[in-house]
Amino acid sequence: MRWNPVMAFWLGLVLSVPASLRGAVTPPPDADRHWAFQPLSKAAPPSVGNTTWCRNEIDRFILARLESQGIRPPPPAEPRVLLRRMALDLVGVPPSFGEVERFAAEFEADPDVAAGAAADRLLADPRHGERWGRHWLDMARYSDTKGYVYAREESKFVQATAYRDWVVSAINRDMPYDRFVQLQIAADQLVPARSPDLAAMGFLTLGRRFLGVTHDIIDDRIDVVCRTTLGLTVACARCHDHKYDPVPTADYYSLYGVFAASEDKAVPLVDSDDAELARRRKAYADAHALRRSEAESRLARRVDEYLGAQLSLRDYPEEGFDQILTDGDLIPHSVRRWRDWLVRPGPVQERLFGPWRAVAALDMAEGEGFEKAARAAMASRPGHREVNPLVEEMLRGPLRGKADVALAYGKLFREVHGRRDDPSPSPAMAELVRFLRDPHGPARIPDGDLVSIEYFVPTPVTEELGKLQGDIDRRTVELGLATAVVATDRDGAPNPRVFRRGSPAQPGEEVPRRFLRVLAGEGRRPFENGSGRLELARAITDAGNALAARTLVNRVWQHHFGAGLVETPSDLGLRAGRPSHPELLDWLAARFLSDGRSLKALHRLIVGSATYRASSTAPHPSDTGLRALSAFPRQRLSFEVLRDSMLAASGELEGTIGGKPGPLLAATNRRRTLYAFVDRQFFPGVLRTFDVANPDLHVSVRHETTVPQQGLFFLNGPFAAGRARALAARTRGMAGPERVDALHRAVFQRRATDGETAAALRFIAASEASEPPPVAPWKPGPWMCGTGEVDSTNGLVRGFKPLPHYTGKSWQGDASWPGGETGWARLTAEGGHPGNTLAHAVVRRWIAPRDVRVTVEGVLRHEVAEGDGVRAWVLGPRGAVLASGVAHQSDVAMKAGPVELRAGESLDFAVDIRNGLNSDQFQWAPVLVAADGARWDAASDFGGPPGPDERLRPWEQYAHVLLLSNEMAFAD
Amino acid sequence: MGLGAMSLGLIDPGMARADGAMGGAGSPMVARAPHFGPRARRVVHFFLNGGPSHVDTFDPKPALARHAGKVLPAGNLRTERKTGTAFPSPFAFRPRGRSGLEISDAFGLTAAHADDIAVIRSMHAQVPNHEPSLMLMNCGDSVQVRPSFGAWTLYGLGSENANLPGFVALCPGGMPIKDAENWQSAFLPGIFQGTFVDPQHKEVARLIEHIRSPHATASVQRRQLDLLHELNAAHAAARGNDPRLEARIESFELAFRMQMEATDAFDISREPAHVRAAYGDTVHGRQTLIARRLLERGVRVVQLWHGAGQPWDHHDNIEGNLRKQAGEIDGPIAAFMSDLKQRGLFDDTLILWGGEFGRTPTVELGDSGKSKLGRDHNHYGFSVWLAGGGVRGGMAYGATDEFGFKAMERPTAVHDLHATMLHLLGLDHERLTFRHAGRDFRLTDVAGEVVREVLA
Repeated sequence: MRWNPVMAFWLGLVLSVPASLRGAVTPPPDADRHWAFQPLSKAAPPSVGNTTWCRNEIDRFILARLESQGIRPPPPAEPRVLLRRMALDLVGVPPSFGEVERFAAEFEADPDVAAGAAADRLLADPRHGERWGRHWLDMARYSDTKGYVYAREESKFVQATAYRDWVVSAINRDMPYDRFVQLQIAADQLVPARSPDLAAMGFLTLGRRFLGVTHDIIDDRIDVVCRTTLGLTVACARCHDHKYDPVPTADYYSLYGVFAASEDKAVPLVDSDDAELARRRKAYADAHALRRSEAESRLARRVDEYLGAQLSLRDYPEEGFDQILTDGDLIPHSVRRWRDWLVRPGPVQERLFGPWRAVAALDMAEGEGFEKAARAAMASRPGHREVNPLVEEMLRGPLRGKADVALAYGKLFREVHGRRDDPSPSPAMAELVRFLRDPHGPARIPDGDLVSIEYFVPTPVTEELGKLQGDIDRRTVELGLATAVVATDRDGAPNPRVFRRGSPAQPGEEVPRRFLRVLAGEGRRPFENGSGRLELARAITDAGNALAARTLVNRVWQHHFGAGLVETPSDLGLRAGRPSHPELLDWLAARFLSDGRSLKALHRLIVGSATYRASSTAPHPSDTGLRALSAFPRQRLSFEVLRDSMLAASGELEGTIGGKPGPLLAATNRRRTLYAFVDRQFFPGVLRTFDVANPDLHVSVRHETTVPQQGLFFLNGPFAAGRARALAARTRGMAGPERVDALHRAVFQRRATDGETAAALRFIAASEASEPPPVAPWKPGPWMCGTGEVDSTNGLVRGFKPLPHYTGKSWQGDASWPGGETGWARLTAEGGHPGNTLAHAVVRRWIAPRDVRVTVEGVLRHEVAEGDGVRAWVLGPRGAVLASGVAHQSDVAMKAGPVELRAGESLDFAVDIRNGLNSDQFQWAPVLVAADGARWDAASDFGGPPGPDERLRPWEQYAHVLLLSNEMAFAD
Repeated sequence: MGLGAMSLGLIDPGMARADGAMGGAGSPMVARAPHFGPRARRVVHFFLNGGPSHVDTFDPKPALARHAGKVLPAGNLRTERKTGTAFPSPFAFRPRGRSGLEISDAFGLTAAHADDIAVIRSMHAQVPNHEPSLMLMNCGDSVQVRPSFGAWTLYGLGSENANLPGFVALCPGGMPIKDAENWQSAFLPGIFQGTFVDPQHKEVARLIEHIRSPHATASVQRRQLDLLHELNAAHAAARGNDPRLEARIESFELAFRMQMEATDAFDISREPAHVRAAYGDTVHGRQTLIARRLLERGVRVVQLWHGAGQPWDHHDNIEGNLRKQAGEIDGPIAAFMSDLKQRGLFDDTLILWGGEFGRTPTVELGDSGKSKLGRDHNHYGFSVWLAGGGVRGGMAYGATDEFGFKAMERPTAVHDLHATMLHLLGLDHERLTFRHAGRDFRLTDVAGEVVREVLA
């Protein structure tokens, strides 16, 4: 049985945590000597006894361990099994029966040639990138949406599609892995504007937005980058030094600084001549420029208040504490920008704000002796002679407290702001104007995309800009306009400071931006260019970085064999167990580096091994968890591969590569599962049930659970039934045994055995014998369901139109609900919902089948608090309003009559939305009782024409069973 | 203690019910023994989403009346919006039961159970915003993606009925703010996430996804499953009976049974009329009754949300709005507690009542600075209450300041609440860990202390 470390939990097995680490709170002193941090060993493939079993070097490593455990190497898999295994592994869909037959014949002639040619074919197939791209997207926490956003913001990412397609294409092109990684971290510095490779940066920018909290956005990026490319859990060092690996908090903040010195920017990858998009972009740009200049003008005019705020920073909570701010409020983000700017050493700080810093540091805030103390403090500063003359001058007045000093600054800068456009200012004035204009100064706000400025403006402005940005994003997504969101360097960003215990409110020592000590050594140099992102990317992919190479080859191994040589592919640190074959891991990593980091070469090597080609049928009993690979580990197909395989079996799989995502569960979606719209906020429960990677988190090993909800999806959901129908349709007209055989070939790529054929025919016979009789045709009764406008003055319904669509449970405007021109209009047996406007009240019309005298009974009920409820009427013939009422979270009796009707005359029971469309669902099923005791009950009489018969016919039932089988769901 | 050792403690195939309603021993839903003797076996959480005002419900503040219309002496704490002067509660508080626990008339019916209720009056959260506070209350972290309390509980204890989802979140009319994140499983297996049910629907097929087959009758399905079993058995026999193959075979039988059991569990028409009448024929009455049916069938955790969005977000007209919302659930909660007592379920069912935070004792001001007769969000101090399995009733624990702005006596963090609830379920919050991203994660992060005073 295959070993899966996550599954260990269910199986009650213990993860191999070295005993020395249990309960450890600091890395052991020799943590640097951990195997994963060492250079690659140069071990040659070991010599083995049974050399004829081996196909390449990999096999010698595997066989050496088997022989040492006294286990005979496994026999090869049958060719049919092998080709299915390779196809599911390399392209994610099974081969056709014909391909299997051909392969078996070729294999008979020469197994190596046949298998090699098949590997080449599959690796050249564009579906290979779709299959292996998905593995990468699991780690990149790929999502088409941002997750939870405030209502103002568009939740779809504009860059997701381009990123997903870039990954697929890069894998198909066999882009060298170092380039593949570098582009995802620093394409902005490696390729020209408009290069399609800019899309690669979705890797960084597709994370959750964490409600705009910078520290968490950066933490997510550090985590994704380091776990994916280094197999190292650096994010553990956010609040304290890593407990197990030699990664100090200082190293975490070195990387933090790299990402903090970068900001996100959307860049279109293609030109668009869409006028609407241009209009929306202009609307945003205009508003952005206006609001930014207003905000900066407020900053310049309120220097006193921002300085004063520095004295009570507690009143300005950190990011994540959202307040609704008006333009009269100080902006907490700007207060903090002032704070950070003021503490930084620099000539402007000294010359303009040196006096303030001296005063602010005083213990006394005001009162007797303040002025003396303040002047002494200012005069004793080392740089006190270098103060800007205008600042010097403004401080001449009386200073009764810190507030006076702040006010003096405020007054001065209001004046400076008023004269900022003077053609020939004095040098002193020019210096002050320069300060106000310094893009890195606290009197400005960043000039970036909305994500960079949204918290520097009052709340209504954030909402206004958010909506305008949302308009652009929606149009971009609608047009399918290839767009990248890249990280770009902020120039002049300061060095990061360590946040003690992870709290930005407790900044500690400053650290340079640089790579991790454990990998780059004590003498590593600080990054020199901009944010250092490109240098980081190069350090990760450096040929000397054995950890990165080990991480990659281990992942590739993992996806071929179901488990890595190291079982925790994203954590090769001290808590990882020993590799099952340490020398093989290093040999593969070295080979990968010397092969130009070609992933396809690595695949070819692995699938060419006897180890990969081994049979899965007879694992050695002593080989716990198949760690020694005494058999090929049988694998359960992932949800994606299973769904795609079903579509392939039924001949319906569409082959279009790339482009806009579509809804996974739509009946018409026949594309590969990779192209299903991934909404991380409304991730379909069925996908979670099937352990599809959680798009919020880097996932390196999916959970593998077996639960009844999975069975229900295939048993009762429309997807598998739809494929069963298509399979039956494809084989229609064939004779029984021939049809069984055809179905087995399509689903299992093999012929049915005699026993299976006999069982199938018995099943078909039994099913046919118990086929239900055809459904009786429906006869319309006296009730009709429609819409129209109530004219209560004249007591009639205007524009009555029958609702056109019957679902089996309700009459409504369209097959989907809400839908059609009547929108939410719907009538069911018990109640319904009025249409979207007063013109579309829902109306039950009862047409008297004979001359009759009836009384009307029934209760109108509206249950929820939202909205203003509904209005209802009972309208008789000749303009009679027989009853009316309003229900809002209440019950209203709707009684009328007795009323005389002639045959063919009607009663209308109408409900509309009252004053607005909001939560207008109601219950009301009137009952008519005739004087002679006859009853017409809207609920029990309710009905409509039978819908399309959804029941599966016998052959469809049979095909359905094949699709549900374990043979379909596992690869040997 | 890490994952490995703990998993050994939790996996106990002997716990599996013999009648086959359980998943196999390898199933994530198999019932697992807790760390120590539990006081409660299941949890129901009445989630008053939006932030119920404590000073109008379970935390009486007579000082507000004395300061009515006056600025609070110590000033107002910063919240999401601006607030003004002291705003006395329009609801009368009275001592209830033998204990004399004070509860306002807004929950006058629930108050009949005062002697079973432990109010924690000193809760505090981190920020005055819904989204992070919902995450904190549900998942123990304001911002990061973490598993919910229900998911952790299922991870620790499994379910007592594999034919039903183990964790159900009921919310009429749609989802609360933050959607399914509130009951997410994050890095835990997906099957531990809450199953969302909108009780406004009455047909079971619309309540639980794929619970009914539109294309096969039960007898057709039985015949299909028999054939499937035959095919799978032959397949497995040729493959040395791999347990993963067996598990999948079993899962289809479970699925078949789940169809019946779920239909039954959600069908409240099977309840006697007097029981339905006690809960009330309203959407809240119905969802509370559904909750009882689920809990008695072995569902581990049920959350009852008040409604889509944030119905308890009473920024304005708190008197009218709170009265209305409280009126919607007061009767159902009281009926539910009586019903549990009658059925002998009360003593091992843990009940939690509360929202994501409380509300300011000062009145919220509109744009023009005018009173809105409502209250802003308040994370500095608020109340929740516990009742049922292992809870000492008739008491208030901790206190806010004189006006109810901030937790002053025995401040209780959400981690403390979670630690206490896990404790009642027999789980040590420090040992309930899961290895993810290089760390052993807990619901309570690196904090949390069991509030021993509320334990019976």
